[in-house]
Amino acid sequence: MIEVEALSKRYGSTTAVDGLTFTARPGTVTGFLGPNGAGKSTTMRVVVGLERATSGRATVDGRRFADLPAPLHAVGVMLDARSVHPGRTAYAHLLAMARTHGIGKARVREVLAQTGLESAARRRAGTFSLGMGQRLGIAGALLGDPATLILDEPVNGLDPDGVLWVRRLVRELAAEGRTVLLSSHLMHELALCADRVVIIGRGRLLADAPVQEIVDRTGSGSLEEAYLQLTTDAVEYRTDAASGGAR
Amino acid sequence: MRGAPARRGVTAGRVLSAESTKLVSVPAHVWLALGTVVVAAVTAYGLGLFVRPGDARSGSWVVTSGFVLAQVGFLVLGAVVGSGEHTTGTARATFTAVPRRLPVLGAQTVVVAAAALVTAAAGLGASWVATAGVRAGGGPAVDLAVPGTARALAGFVLASVAVALLGLGLGALLRRPADAIVGGIVLAVVGDHLLAANPGPVTDTVRALLPSAGARLLQDDAALAALDDATRGPQLGTGGGGLVVAVWVVVVLAAAAYRLGRHDVR
Repeated sequence: MIEVEALSKRYGSTTAVDGLTFTARPGTVTGFLGPNGAGKSTTMRVVVGLERATSGRATVDGRRFADLPAPLHAVGVMLDARSVHPGRTAYAHLLAMARTHGIGKARVREVLAQTGLESAARRRAGTFSLGMGQRLGIAGALLGDPATLILDEPVNGLDPDGVLWVRRLVRELAAEGRTVLLSSHLMHELALCADRVVIIGRGRLLADAPVQEIVDRTGSGSLEEAYLQLTTDAVEYRTDAASGGAR
Repeated sequence: MRGAPARRGVTAGRVLSAESTKLVSVPAHVWLALGTVVVAAVTAYGLGLFVRPGDARSGSWVVTSGFVLAQVGFLVLGAVVGSGEHTTGTARATFTAVPRRLPVLGAQTVVVAAAALVTAAAGLGASWVATAGVRAGGGPAVDLAVPGTARALAGFVLASVAVALLGLGLGALLRRPADAIVGGIVLAVVGDHLLAANPGPVTDTVRALLPSAGARLLQDDAALAALDDATRGPQLGTGGGGLVVAVWVVVVLAAAAYRLGRHDVR
């Protein structure tokens, strides 16, 4: 379970996350939504200890990420498809990660197969397409067979087969009792795979409820319409077409 | 859960194993090490061609003279390992696997030192072979009976390891390879040469306190005595140069550890 309590993160005079509180529970896929610059990625980076909170706290299963004795087994993290040295092969990248936890080569091969990267395992990551990079990132997240997964825009750059695969994967992971926190800009995808959504804007919580409840509460016909309505005042970059859609 | 491996945590040994895998799995690192060996040997051979019997150059100087260029290779190796985590984005994967972070820098220190040691030993051997003809053809021979000769040969390896660790520290501290390499070259190579153009008590003192003082490790006793006689700054003696570069390595790595432990990773 991921618990974020009154979390704030400031960079100088800029407030990226402002008193954010939400919980991602086991057995559910929690969608994490917000406009560009809303603070989603910052929140995720604070949860996994890459950035320090200015105030508030974020825990996984009741512990700070840095206090987890075996982080890869507790939390699978995919924040960016470009989190790999371009000169290293996919296999070597995963093997190096695995060795930090004494995970064997068999498990590395298993996640390569699970993510469809078997044939590209010996290719340098720098030659990968964005979609292959996403698959490699997901493979890294699955490596420790973790109870919690944090995936930032996992379907970016994936082909339709890949999008369908991620949708099924996160549903399966949640069905196994795992906690899944998933950010995406693809409303249709989130509507299909998320049980609950947390919507933020300008670093603040705008909504935290099951998908259908948010749709009903806003009187919208879809999650996309509900999202546009909720974020009307919280978006920094919006075109006329999107503004029209929100009305 | 399916396929669940035994739940084992992060240990120093495992992080060391991971960093070893990372170092050798990037072909550029391997080519850089091989290139450094070649540069050491070719430079020693080239400089050896200009040594004449009356030049007061020792045989150990001929063999180790390739350090003047090879040290750049060691510096770059350390700098790209130290900064590579941040420039390639690998840091996000590395530090979510090892969120306490400092074991990673510790392991990188060990693997870079080991890689530099092996590379330097190979470079020394290659330089020995490359300069064999020069030494046999009227140039100075390597005579281990000459005081400080064995130390000078070992000093090639030690100074190379020190420069590589300085590069690692600068890379991890500055997080940009260009900044680390330029800074390292100024500290370990160029600064000394610039200051040597204007000798005096102040410039000689500054020279003695730069990491380039580590090059004294490559000198035999007679050469060290000549350097100490010529300087108007502090006389570092036999081990002073090694001590200076060791302090630089420790201070820069400590600063890198502070930044890594206290600041955000992007």
